[in-house]
Amino acid sequence: MENDYGVPTAPIVTSRFADYVQRDGRSHGMHLRWSFPPYPVGFVSKETLHGYVQGNDPISSAPLMEEVLFALTQPLTDAEKNPKIVKRPNRPRLLEPATEENLHRLFLENGWTDGLPIILPTEERVAEMLTGTDHDPQEVIGMMSVTTHEERLQYTVERVAVNAVMAGARPEHFPVILALGASGRPSLPSSTTSFASMMVVNGPIRNEIGMNSGLGALSPVNYANSVIGRAWTLMSINLGDMRPGATFTASTGTTINYNNMCFAENEENSAWEPFHVRKGFKRDESTVSLFRGWNVLTMGLGPATRMLEVMKSIGGPFGGAFTFICDPLVAKSLKNEGYADPMKLSEWLVNELNPRFKRPEMVNFIVAGGEMNPMWVTTDFSYFQSVSIDPWIPKAGIKKDAKPLRMPEPVLCKDGSCGISH
Amino acid sequence: MKKNGEKITVLDPIGQPSGVFGSRLDPDSMPWAIHDPANQPRDTAEKLSHLKMAPRLDSLEGKTVYLVNTGFAGGAEFMAEVQDWFTRNKPSVKTELRHKKTSMFTDEPELWAEIKKNGDAAVIGVGG
Repeated sequence: MENDYGVPTAPIVTSRFADYVQRDGRSHGMHLRWSFPPYPVGFVSKETLHGYVQGNDPISSAPLMEEVLFALTQPLTDAEKNPKIVKRPNRPRLLEPATEENLHRLFLENGWTDGLPIILPTEERVAEMLTGTDHDPQEVIGMMSVTTHEERLQYTVERVAVNAVMAGARPEHFPVILALGASGRPSLPSSTTSFASMMVVNGPIRNEIGMNSGLGALSPVNYANSVIGRAWTLMSINLGDMRPGATFTASTGTTINYNNMCFAENEENSAWEPFHVRKGFKRDESTVSLFRGWNVLTMGLGPATRMLEVMKSIGGPFGGAFTFICDPLVAKSLKNEGYADPMKLSEWLVNELNPRFKRPEMVNFIVAGGEMNPMWVTTDFSYFQSVSIDPWIPKAGIKKDAKPLRMPEPVLCKDGSCGISH
Repeated sequence: MKKNGEKITVLDPIGQPSGVFGSRLDPDSMPWAIHDPANQPRDTAEKLSHLKMAPRLDSLEGKTVYLVNTGFAGGAEFMAEVQDWFTRNKPSVKTELRHKKTSMFTDEPELWAEIKKNGDAAVIGVGG
């Protein structure tokens, strides 16, 4: 309004976001004339709102509406007429040498971690991580910001390697982590509603690096799933400029942000085409598919009609996005119901849910699990994109350790029952 | 790894400033597209540094002020109270209350053009 239309404007934002919007304005070179009523204005009585409008701005202590009149009528100052964007200084490649103990403290106290212990990114460790790709360490591969307005940070292959080391990853995991970096997509984008993210790996790399797509695919029982998912969060913190309260506003937050539901699809036991094939990739390509939403509900059982009942009960705020994580037994059962192509199931569900909302691509299905129970997990996650991992894999193949680190495989008896009671 | 208090050197994990900002979405974007880096515009610091605030009015007497509800929870009710304040305290000011048709995240050039054509100033809220 101010620049494009030449209309003097008084923006009003609740006081809870005073710092956030003032910083946002300054970073864009504009010192807008804000007014801040108390927070919140949603879900409060008419009398309360009346008091807010009649009362003072809690930030400035001035009468709110006097501020609005001031914003529209007082001549601009020289600073307002000639705004300047303050440039951030470039970051160094190396930090000042310090003891191991002090460096751990530095990383933690600067908010460069997820609060869990990290592996310190020494030059030797980062150099070893870089053997996991042929790409030049100084190649800039993306930009990221957890906010939607502030300056994005850009990063090289090496900076991604630093965060991969911190997460505890090995060079064999690095191509997947680089694909995440190349997406430019943070796993914890800033929203007061507390977004959660999910990442699903398809293709040959799943098994080469020992990812879990079977029993406990979403549980902390697999090294690759754990460190790759964590690396996405550390990248979002450090490469996406995540600073709680400043650029990150998740009100309650979500524990999903620790690992981002990182798992592989159980292509071997699925009755359906692999997810990435349904999205246009070849079966022998490796991809990582990215999703975002809020809620995860477990213990869905039964046929497609039961899925529809669940969807009706948890419609999302924007009309309904759903991603179902189905045990292989579910996919087989649904195929027997007549849904050999899950897109047909998506079409049926969407049509039954809301015929006007004809977006079957908003309902997706992933197959994972150990065939212990024919159940599905319901999420309100939207699918965003699938990123190819192959360009990041060395020509000589995935760089594995002489003896790759692997956690114990799930114990199953030969007939698959293991005394499980149904 | 060095032990016994010996100093070691590690790499900085933080990204570099790019001079690139996200800004406004196309008017026909989906509401959640603001959170999708693939859809976000990429304004540079140089471009943003040319943004200017509009000249202020000498007075609001006899002027038309548009009150725009952005769509956050409580915004409609709050802006109605603002309109009521103008009616009671600044009766010479004509107010027009509008609600964004799309979402709080998307641009709405038709509304801005209407305000430019028929209005003198705008009050936009409530963010957050």
